[in-house]
Amino acid sequence: MTAPRPGRPEDAIAGVVPRAVLAPETVEEAAEAVRAAARDRARLAFVGGGTDLGLGAPPEGLDLVLRTEKLSRIVEHAPSDQIVKAEAGVTLAALQRTLSAHGQRLALDPPHPDRATLGGIVCANAFGPLRTRYGTVRDLIIGIGIVRADGVAARGGGKVVKNVAGFDLPRLMVGSMGTLALVTSVTFRLHPLPEQETTVLFPGVEPGKAASLLAETRRGQLEPSAAAALASGERLDLGVRFEGFAAGVAEQRERLLALGRAAGLAGEVLDGASAKAFWERHRAVREGAGVRVKLSARPTALEALARDALAPLRSALAGGAVVYPTLGLAFAAGEPASPEEVARAVERARVALGPAGGSVVVQEASPAVRARLDVWGPPPASIVLMRRLKERLDPDRRLAPGRFLGGM
Amino acid sequence: MAAVVGARNCIRELSDLVTYECDGLAHGRVTPGLVVLPGSTEEVAEVVRIAGAAGVPIVPRGSGTGLSGGARPVPGCVVVTLSRMRRILEVNFDDGYVRVEPGIANLEITNRIAAGGYYYAPDPSSQRVCSIGGNFAENSGGAHCLKYGFTVNHVLGARLVMDGGEIVDVGGVAPDSPGYDLLGVLVGSEGMLGIATEITLRLLRKPQTTRTFFATFPSTDEAGDAVSGIIAAGILPAAIEMMDRLAIEAAKAYLKKLDWPDVGAVLLMDADGPAAEVEHVAARAVEIAKGCGALEVRIPKSEAERQLLWEGRKAAFAAVGRISPSYLVEDGVIPRSEIARVLREISEMASAVGLRVANVFHAGDGNLHPLVLYDTQVPGELEHAQKLGADILRLCVRLGGSITGEHGVGAEKKAFMADMFGPTDLETMEMVRCALDPQGRFNPGKVLPTPRLCGEQPGPYQPHPIEKAGLAERW
Repeated sequence: MTAPRPGRPEDAIAGVVPRAVLAPETVEEAAEAVRAAARDRARLAFVGGGTDLGLGAPPEGLDLVLRTEKLSRIVEHAPSDQIVKAEAGVTLAALQRTLSAHGQRLALDPPHPDRATLGGIVCANAFGPLRTRYGTVRDLIIGIGIVRADGVAARGGGKVVKNVAGFDLPRLMVGSMGTLALVTSVTFRLHPLPEQETTVLFPGVEPGKAASLLAETRRGQLEPSAAAALASGERLDLGVRFEGFAAGVAEQRERLLALGRAAGLAGEVLDGASAKAFWERHRAVREGAGVRVKLSARPTALEALARDALAPLRSALAGGAVVYPTLGLAFAAGEPASPEEVARAVERARVALGPAGGSVVVQEASPAVRARLDVWGPPPASIVLMRRLKERLDPDRRLAPGRFLGGM
Repeated sequence: MAAVVGARNCIRELSDLVTYECDGLAHGRVTPGLVVLPGSTEEVAEVVRIAGAAGVPIVPRGSGTGLSGGARPVPGCVVVTLSRMRRILEVNFDDGYVRVEPGIANLEITNRIAAGGYYYAPDPSSQRVCSIGGNFAENSGGAHCLKYGFTVNHVLGARLVMDGGEIVDVGGVAPDSPGYDLLGVLVGSEGMLGIATEITLRLLRKPQTTRTFFATFPSTDEAGDAVSGIIAAGILPAAIEMMDRLAIEAAKAYLKKLDWPDVGAVLLMDADGPAAEVEHVAARAVEIAKGCGALEVRIPKSEAERQLLWEGRKAAFAAVGRISPSYLVEDGVIPRSEIARVLREISEMASAVGLRVANVFHAGDGNLHPLVLYDTQVPGELEHAQKLGADILRLCVRLGGSITGEHGVGAEKKAFMADMFGPTDLETMEMVRCALDPQGRFNPGKVLPTPRLCGEQPGPYQPHPIEKAGLAERW
């Protein structure tokens, strides 16, 4: 059995340093550690690549952090069935390397692929621009292995893409941030690697015009694999990517350019290097340290989102912003000078988006900012059901107590 | 209850209750104590409160087309039928959603909004009649879920009546509502965690082009190779369906206008999306099918021709009724690469007990629908058929598959849950049930093979209070 080491400042979760850190070598060892923690009434948190340690409110206290980094086996890849089962600590980049040798990929592209682990991606519900076409973890996950708070190992789902047997434990874990159980393995459905891809850039577009261009794109039955807009002053640099077989990609690119011309927007087809540069700019915002805020609204609320929520946030954060206009999601990140101003901007954004069902979640922040706001914001009414699940699966409140929504 | 829903929406006469004794799975009938047809969320909530106070189990029901006995009553229960609640409450093409009541039929949604060029993607074979509430409960699929996913991938939000009669809204049109993925758990929970009374569904823009091809093969071996080859070429068809010799024979007996040859297998594939992409994919798929030994490949020249091909596929279940007095519909899933081998094994298993099995299924995702033919007039044949069905499901599990791809576990398959899942897996599912319906009021006796009292530690079986009170036998 591996021995724990003392917690260090860099192990902190939302600012809270654990007393000890353990990296089990095997799933069995991880289960044993959770069982031991249950016996000792120890408070636990789980860490994968540590790319999203700022998520959530500070836990009330942490006796032990379990790191999944050594649970790094790809258990089964069945190329002809297009599924893969891997342990939670496998990084996304490592998985994609194995899959690409067979012309396949997991259609998820969250930030930090070199460090982000599959377990962490599931628990944080992490995503990137490919969500435009392929959806999120919940749309790709088909099976899961967990260790419950009481140290009991269990699994849900299976390894076939179509399966409705039993309650859906895999989806219950998506976005649960390790507050219901430790995720030890994940099974995903896979997609073929596209033969070709191309990105069209519409620089400096007014948010309203970007919204109508994308509405036309949808009406015109184009199917982009990704659409992301980078804030540039009051305007947006809108990038639209198509993927697939060469003929389809070329045809869609030309039709999008034509739609742009009809709207008075000049699109540029980006070559390899400039496409890479655009998506790098996008990645820099998504991976921004300091303060990072996630915003959600109805897709058609793009103009209001940009004007009433994103603009004040960008000014307070003195940083960049990414909008996924077809999804109704945006991120703003920066290194702000004034925590008070950030708190006010977050509050303004909540007032702007909340009444229509949107949300504003602070994903990363300094202690000074955290002290001035609730990172989660007001919980939805359904929190009553979430509490019931939490109380049943973690009755002693030992899994990252206080980190999740509503102090759960 | 009559005061809540109105006397005419409250069914008490034995002669009328008979209608509700079963769903699409006709055997194993149970007469309910009472059937109510509420007209609003508030009425559902009040019915749940009254039933809860009286300790009466509640069995939700949509159109009753389910094939796993998911809506089968338990003795003394109240069946809550949502069929009066069938309005479209809101349509929004710009944000891409429709908000409906649960009793509306799946296809009616698409039909009523089709003028806008949008549609609701999941398409179970029973889509003309099956209700969206039932689809929500069963996480229904359909032929096109290979590309587009299941009900769970298309539900954006829901209003639910929970076990205490409380009304809770979950999810919504804005994405990523903070917290746990409650919809992920509620969709597919087979009516055991709550009753959905409003459902918000994602609408998709119709694809620019759909290309269909139909190919005939000497046997399911070559057809299975073709499916594997198409997928391996990086193609994601919208749907790819297979029928075997007996299913083809049945379809032809039922639909006289089908001019299909007598062959060992047919494949029916849809590719859809932007025009150039689809043309490329369809041409490539035809090439692959020919390379795998296709006898004939047809590309329909008109929408009418295309519809006829699909009619032949969709009629297959009913058609089998023409070549056999009775049949069981199974619903198992295997890894797609095992199709040819499993079909051969099923055929051998059937021959060994002197039964015939017709196969018509979603080949792209390995979701088999073996139809086990039998005759109730022959003593013992039903039992043989049931045993064969059970053996097929166990074969699916042995190969790493599932006991159900889209029909649900219901009352019929809970005994197989222990083949697929271990005790701790089932116990974890019970914890979810206990979290959201600790009294076990909703649809008791489904899905979980040996339900325990919530709060009880795993151990020897103890009778449920309803059972003790003589209201139900052990389920």
